[in-house]
Amino acid sequence: MLCEQCRKREATVKYVEVVNGVKTEHNLCGHCAARLDIGPFSAMFEGEFSLASLLSGLLGIQDTEKKDGKLAGVVCPSCGTTYEDFVEGSRFGCADCYSVFGPLLGENIRHLQGSEKHVGKRPGNIVRAQIQREEQASVGDGNDTQNGDIIRSLTKEEQIRLLQTRLKDALRREDYKEAAALRDEIRSQKEETE
Amino acid sequence: MAKWYDVPGNMDSNVVYSRIRLVRNWADYPFPGKMTREQSLELTGQLCERIKDVGSVEGLKIRYGNLHQITDLEKRALLERRVINRSLVKKSDPAGLFLSDDERVSIAINGDDHIRIQAIEKGLNLSECYRIANAADDYISEQIEYSFDEKYGYLTAFPTNVGTGLRASVIVHLPMLSRKKNFNSLVADMGRFGTIIRGVFGEGSENYGSLYQVSNQKTLGQTEKDIVDLVYKAAAELDAQERRLRKEALKQRPVACADECYKSYGVLKYARRLTGKDSMEFLSQIMAGVTDGILVTDEPCSIYSLVIGSQPANLLGRAERPLSKEELEVARADFLREKLPEIH
Repeated sequence: MLCEQCRKREATVKYVEVVNGVKTEHNLCGHCAARLDIGPFSAMFEGEFSLASLLSGLLGIQDTEKKDGKLAGVVCPSCGTTYEDFVEGSRFGCADCYSVFGPLLGENIRHLQGSEKHVGKRPGNIVRAQIQREEQASVGDGNDTQNGDIIRSLTKEEQIRLLQTRLKDALRREDYKEAAALRDEIRSQKEETE
Repeated sequence: MAKWYDVPGNMDSNVVYSRIRLVRNWADYPFPGKMTREQSLELTGQLCERIKDVGSVEGLKIRYGNLHQITDLEKRALLERRVINRSLVKKSDPAGLFLSDDERVSIAINGDDHIRIQAIEKGLNLSECYRIANAADDYISEQIEYSFDEKYGYLTAFPTNVGTGLRASVIVHLPMLSRKKNFNSLVADMGRFGTIIRGVFGEGSENYGSLYQVSNQKTLGQTEKDIVDLVYKAAAELDAQERRLRKEALKQRPVACADECYKSYGVLKYARRLTGKDSMEFLSQIMAGVTDGILVTDEPCSIYSLVIGSQPANLLGRAERPLSKEELEVARADFLREKLPEIH
């Protein structure tokens, strides 16, 4: 099929426009598609298609925002990455970039990932720190929270990992009675998850 | 020690292999894109020292090497074998690689992110891949502090990896399904379920050898188990659909199907020159023939090992001198003639 605008080149882009519920379809070549007025997305049709440019299109600042200077000039103090750097390369420079640009990007990250809250695995030190914090808090309150309650607030996988660390510790101390109890506990927890 | 791709797998499945990749960063350094050469050198050296016993976790024999000290050709051969990714091939800054003898498990240091853990298993076995990668991850997390955020999870250079940092992929051989007219809409539909399909070999929009990779699109807001389950189901479904089509074709046109397989076998058995595209197409036919039980090899074999071995950088790596384009095609035909399994 030929491009409906220039009628010279093969149509490679199908552009579907829905305005007030009325759907119109256009078949265009890459060249004409690039000239379409669809803001940052036009960049996708110019030259080689790349994931980076698609990302930049999705996360890109609209021209109007750029002029307002709302986001321009935001720089990560730790690594010097600017918002423009990020839009161009679609990558962050350091962990702090997430807290610097995160609030500006929350909506876009949700678009990209379908969520903006991690629900998966957490590193062992973070889990242990949480337990310690909660234990201290409960002592401070004079509240007699059982250790078990805190452990139950963790995910199954985290519970098993915690028990494994305690088992290693018990073995190091040569406390075989506790080690045996922990080993049985780990086994029963694993059976539950399977 | 035999590499994982040389070991015969389940011969009657269209699933070639499964792979899990986890990316992590060390909280003490900026991400690789913003590190100076000195920082790169320091990080690579430090990590190499701190996690040198990572093999002990799974009883693996793991060796370490500096990636900036090997040749470009060696790097491209590692890329073809899926050990490292494209950005590590291009990188000239200090980078490192822990690699198990069978090449199933690798930990790349200072690529796009500080740490990239990868585990591969033959066939549809994502859960085993995850078990191994997860154990390596637990081990590393005890040696260094990861960049982790309660909200965003594991922080990565690309926001497309943030959260779990987990990419689960399965490589499936789909010669019939990919030839169907509605394959493109199937690919689009799978996108709606959060999985992506893309061709493994080929240039531009062309695919050579009908090997496809299905993987998860999102890394945030889902647990590791959910992601692994999602990709597992998608791969199993693709395998089932391909199987159904092939069974039907075999019933309706048994002679045509057998003819295609035997002809491909004949070409690879006797050809004196082969382009990459041709060898992939013929190997694809043989792969289908073996899976369908048309071609019965004398001994269990791995056709995928021929796919890997006939890639350019792997061929060049085995040659004693640089090869011209034509010589490379001759070397490819020689390799396949020698390695093609006997059939009866």
